[in-house]
Amino acid sequence: MAVKRKIIKERVPTIERPPEERIHDFREVDLGYTFELAVKEAERCLQCPYDYAPCIKGCPVHINIPGFISKLVEYRDNPDKAVKEALNIIWACNSLPATTGRVCPQEDQCEMNCVMGKVGDKINIGKLERFVADYAREHGIDEELLFEIIPRIEKKGQRVAIIGAGPAGLTAAGELAKLGYDVTIYEALHAAGGVLMYGIPEFRLPKEIVEKEIEKLRKLGVRILTDHIVGKTITMEELLEEYDAVFIGSGAGTPRLVRAPGINLNGIYTANEFLTRVNLMKAYLFPEYDTPVKVGKKVIVIGAGNTGMDAARSARRFGAEVTIAYRRGPEDVSAREEEVHHAKEEGIKFEYFINPVEFIGDENGNVKAIKFEKMRALDERDSRGKRKIVGTGEYVTLEADTVIIAIGKHPNRLIINTPGLEVDRRGKVVVDENLMTSIPGVFAGGDAIRGEATVILAMGDGRRAAKSIHEYLTKKRAGQNA
Amino acid sequence: MGYRILDKKELAMNEVWYKIHAPHVAKKVQPGQFVIVRAFPNGERIPLTPVTWDREEGWITLVTFVRGKTTLRMANELKPGDELLNVAGPLGNPAPMKKFGKILAIGLITGMVEVFPIAKAWQEFGNDVTTLHVTPNPMVILKEDFEKAVSRHIVEGYDLQPGWGMQEIAQELVRRAVTKVRELLESEHWDLVFIVGPAGGQKAVFEVVREYGIPMEADLHPIMVDGTGMCGSCRVTVGGEVKFACIDGPGFNAYKVDWDELIHRVGFYTDLERKALEEYLKAIRGGGQ
Ligand SMILES: Cc1cc2nc3c(=O)[nH]c(=O)nc-3n(C[C@H](O)[C@H](O)[C@H](O)COP(=O)(O)OP(=O)(O)OC[C@H]3O[C@@H](n4cnc5c(N)ncnc54)[C@H](O)[C@@H]3O)c2cc1C
Ligand SMILES: Cc1cc2nc3c(=O)[nH]c(=O)nc-3n(C[C@H](O)[C@H](O)[C@H](O)COP(=O)(O)OP(=O)(O)OC[C@H]3O[C@@H](n4cnc5c(N)ncnc54)[C@H](O)[C@@H]3O)c2cc1C
Ligand code: SF4
Ligand code: SF4
Ligand code: FES
Repeated sequence: MAVKRKIIKERVPTIERPPEERIHDFREVDLGYTFELAVKEAERCLQCPYDYAPCIKGCPVHINIPGFISKLVEYRDNPDKAVKEALNIIWACNSLPATTGRVCPQEDQCEMNCVMGKVGDKINIGKLERFVADYAREHGIDEELLFEIIPRIEKKGQRVAIIGAGPAGLTAAGELAKLGYDVTIYEALHAAGGVLMYGIPEFRLPKEIVEKEIEKLRKLGVRILTDHIVGKTITMEELLEEYDAVFIGSGAGTPRLVRAPGINLNGIYTANEFLTRVNLMKAYLFPEYDTPVKVGKKVIVIGAGNTGMDAARSARRFGAEVTIAYRRGPEDVSAREEEVHHAKEEGIKFEYFINPVEFIGDENGNVKAIKFEKMRALDERDSRGKRKIVGTGEYVTLEADTVIIAIGKHPNRLIINTPGLEVDRRGKVVVDENLMTSIPGVFAGGDAIRGEATVILAMGDGRRAAKSIHEYLTKKRAGQNA
Repeated sequence: MGYRILDKKELAMNEVWYKIHAPHVAKKVQPGQFVIVRAFPNGERIPLTPVTWDREEGWITLVTFVRGKTTLRMANELKPGDELLNVAGPLGNPAPMKKFGKILAIGLITGMVEVFPIAKAWQEFGNDVTTLHVTPNPMVILKEDFEKAVSRHIVEGYDLQPGWGMQEIAQELVRRAVTKVRELLESEHWDLVFIVGPAGGQKAVFEVVREYGIPMEADLHPIMVDGTGMCGSCRVTVGGEVKFACIDGPGFNAYKVDWDELIHRVGFYTDLERKALEEYLKAIRGGGQ
C-alpha cells in the first residue's frame, strides 16, 4: 500500500545557538527539534520497507528507523502517544537514544545511505532519535514505559558483575536486569557514565541526560558501586566467586602520549586529563568548583578525532586561540562531521600535515612552543583506508602555552593485567564470537575489546554480551537443576 | 554512597586525623597504597594515605596536613557522623616487602604518615627499621606509634620563628633533614633509605644519600586526578621513561627520578591553589565564622 508522498528536499533544521554566543559557555550547542519540527522532518522520510531500508542496515544496532519515524507522523495529534510508540521501537535495540542521537557519527552510519540523499538532504535520523528520547524524558514517558516493563521481570536468582559504567557496561547491565539477573556495576570513578561523563563535554551531551539514564538503571534494580577499582579493590577471582558471570566494559582509558622530548613540561595535558578536569570536575566553574585547569592564550591540540575536537572546543570556551594540529590531511579527519563544522564555526584553526617532534619549554618548565616536522601524504593507503604519510625533513615551530594531546588511547591497564585474561599485542581483550574472553564466564565488549571505537558499538556489544551471558547462565541453571 | 566519619581530631597543629568507615578499602589496603577522597559535591579528588586500618571493622584512618582549600575545608566543615562522598581505592602498588636489612625511613612533615604503615610492615618482616621525622615541633605526630612499631624513632623537630612564611619553614626543613641524614649515614651502615615528603626535600636528601651510594626508594607525590591511570596528570620521568605514579608507583628508585621535572610539575597550579584558598577564607570570614 504505497502512499504517494510529496518529496521535500530540504532538511528541517534544528535550532542551534550562534557561535559568538556559545563560545562563552558550556551549555548545549544544538537545541534540537520541537514536536512540530520533528513531525515536519519525519514527514520527509520515504518509509522504505523494513527489509530494504538502508538506514537500518547502516545503524550498528539496526533500529527500525522508518518504524519509529512513522509513529511521529501517525500520531501527530497526540505527541505523548507518538513519542511513546516511537520510543518503544527504539528501545528494542538501543537503550540510550538521547546519547546516541547526539553523538553517533550518523553520516557514516544510519544516514550514510539514506535514500532521500539521492534527491535531496538525507533524513536527520540522529536528531529525530534525540527528539524522541528528550521529549520522553522531559514528559516522564520513558519512566512510564519502564514501569510497564518492571513488573514483567522474572527474577533468575543469578548474579552478574559488570566492570565499568560506560555505555558498554550500562547497556549490558540494563539488558541483564530486564532479563531478571541481579546486577552490580563496579566503577572506578565517583560517577557512572564512562566517557559520557568524563570525556564528552556538556555542550555536546549534557551530564544531566547521562545521570537520568543511570537513575533508570537504578530503578531497574541495578546496584552501582562507585570508587571500586577492579584489580585493586576486588580481583577478578573474587568476582568469579561472588558472581555467576562477569562483563568487562572497562573501556580504553590509557592515554597515548607523543614520544617526543619535553612531553612532561607543564601545560601539556592529555585530552583525558584536560576533559576530566573540565567536564567531570567542572573546572570551568573554578573557584566555585575546586579543581583547577590552566588554559593559556594559545592552545594547540594534537590530533583531529572526536577527542581532539572536544578538547579544542572546550579550550575555546576559556577564551583561548585554538589550533588543531594534525599529521594527516583534511580528508582523514576522523571526528564527526558536525563537530568539525561546529569547531570551524567557533573559530578553531586547523593545521594539516604536521607532526610534533619536540616540545620546547621555558626556564620554569612550562611549555612555550612545539617543533613539528612537515609531513607529506603518499597515494598508498593503510589498513584503515587513510593515506600513508612520510616526514619531509622540513620543520616548523608554533608557539603554544597550553598543549593538549589527543592522539588516541589504549585499553585500561588495570584490567588487562588480570591473570589468565588473554589480550592482544595492543592490550585489547580477546573475545570469541559470543564475546566471551579466555576466562570462562567472563565476557567483554566496547572499547576494551575494540580499542577506541564509538558509543553505539560499545552499546551494541553490551547488548550482545547480555544475550550471551543470558544463554550461558540459562545453561548453568539447567546444569544446576539437573 | 557515602563513607561515614567515625571520629576526627586534631593531632597537632594543622594535622587532622580522621577515622573513616570504608570497608572496601580496609579489606584490601596494603602499606604503600593510597586512596582518592572527594569530600564535597564541588570538591576536588585528592590522594591521601591510609595510616592504620581494621579489616574486620571496616575502617581506615587518614591524616591530612591542612595546607590548601580542600584540606582546610575538610578540617573546618566535616564532623564525626558526616560522610565523605567518595573514598576510592586502594590505589597504587604496595611497597615491596623484602628483607633489606637496616632501613632508614624518613618522613618530612606529614610525609611521616605514609611512612608509618610501610615502616611498621618492614619491621615486622624482619628488617631493622629506624624512622626519622623532620618537622616543625608543633607538627610532631604519631611519635608513640612509631616508637612501638620500629627499632628506633628519631624526631628532628625545630621551632617556628616569628615572621617565618612557608618558604622559611621549607628551607629550614631541608637544612635539618640534610644535616641529620648526613650525620646518620656517616655514623652507621644502612642498606636502604626510604623517603616521603615534599619533592624539594626529597631531592635534597637524595643528593646526600647518593654520595654514600646507598639504595634509595621514594614515594612520589605528583598531582593526581583519577588515580587509576586514565589521565596522565601524575606522570613522572623515571629512568628516562614516562611513568604514571598512580599505577606504576607511587614508590620509585630515587636514583632514576627526574627530580627537577617533578618539582616543576607539583608547582604548576600554585597560583590557582592560592586563589582558591583565599576565596574560601574570605567566604568563611565573611560568613561570620
Ligand atoms: C573525548 C571523547 C569524545 C568522544 N566522542 C564520541 C562521539 O562523538 N561519538 C561516539 O560514538 N564516540 C565518541 N567517543 C568514543 C566513545 O566515547 C567510546 O567509544 C565509548 O565511551 C566506549 O564505551 P565503553 O563503555 O567501552 O568504555 P568507557 O566509556 O571508556 O567506560 C569505561 C568505564 O570503565 C571504568 N573502568 C575502567 N577500568 C576499571 C576498573 N579496573 N574497575 C572499575 N571500573 C573501571 C572507567 O572509569 C569508565 O567509567 C569519544 C571518546 C572521547 C574520549
Ligand atoms: C600518593 C599520595 C599520597 C598522599 N597522602 C597524603 C596524606 O596522607 N596526607 C596529606 O596531608 N597529604 C597527602 N598527599 C598530598 C595531598 O594529596 C595534598 O595535600 C592535597 O591534595 C592538598 O589539597 P589542598 O586543596 O588542601 O591544597 P592545594 O592548595 O590544592 O595544594 C597544595 C599542594 O598540594 C599538592 N596537591 C594539590 N592537589 C593535589 C592533587 N590532586 N594530588 C596530589 N597533590 C596535590 C600540590 O603540591 C600543591 O602545591 C598525598 C599525595 C599523593 C600523591
Ligand atoms: S543509534 Fe546511531 S546509527 Fe543507529 S539510528 Fe541512532 S543515531 Fe543512527
Ligand atoms: S533510508 Fe532514509 S528515507 Fe528510507 S526509511 Fe531510512 S530514513 Fe527514511
Ligand atoms: S592520576 Fe590520572 S593517571 Fe595517575
